[in-house]
Amino acid sequence: MSGTTLYVALVAFGVLAGVASGLLGVGGGTLIVPFLTLAAGLSQHNAEATSLLVILPTAIAGTLTLRRRGVGDPALALRFGVVGAIGAVGGALLALALPAGALRIVFAVFVGLVGLRLIYDGRRAEARAG
Amino acid sequence: MRASAASAATSRARLGRFRIDRELVAIGVLGGLLSGLLGVGGGIVMVPLLVIWARYGQRDAHAASLGAIIPISIAGIATYGVAGHIDVRAAAALIVGSVVGARLGAGFLARIDERHLKMVFGVFLIGVAALMGIRG
Repeated sequence: MSGTTLYVALVAFGVLAGVASGLLGVGGGTLIVPFLTLAAGLSQHNAEATSLLVILPTAIAGTLTLRRRGVGDPALALRFGVVGAIGAVGGALLALALPAGALRIVFAVFVGLVGLRLIYDGRRAEARAG
Repeated sequence: MRASAASAATSRARLGRFRIDRELVAIGVLGGLLSGLLGVGGGIVMVPLLVIWARYGQRDAHAASLGAIIPISIAGIATYGVAGHIDVRAAAALIVGSVVGARLGAGFLARIDERHLKMVFGVFLIGVAALMGIRG
């Protein structure tokens, strides 16, 4: 894609990633990074950096909406995030020293199992509620 | 809405004695570590840990994760921004859409039935796992 088409596609995909981010409380990088590499032709590194810049205003917009609706505790969430940021810097440093390919597979299995458990819990709760 | 307000009140009461709960510190460090290590967003790691380990309600876990992503992404931008890898024009186009989308999505989060939220997130995680499995 190139020119205007690309920018229209980027805005449209931004809406989709934003909805996922606001609803699921995720940054949206998992969606944005593959899109930027495949559709916009960015390198993996540039896509990851660009996605981080998108995630910040997205998370702020979603959090402001949640605060207005009285969902959760934004001040606590920010403190939690500061701890998370320290962990993330440690993780990025560790990533340079460890075999990332093997870790990704282990992590993919972990995430898949958690997903199955959540669906199972959700269905069970639904059955209980009738 | 009433259920979510009640569960938010419960988590605040439990955390009232500490400025931040020990489980939250552990989950923050672990979530941040995994996210930095694997290049995935922290939310994919933090939401399940908050629900399964810290016994957060599903809706509160998603809200806490979204707020936590603000400082986490600032740290990320500071790291990458120095290296100058950001495609500013692509980012601007995505932001125009994603800020609108985030308001819509957060509105859904405030209203959605927690059981449905669990299932939607479960499907999302399995999709991410498949994607990571292929790429890994």
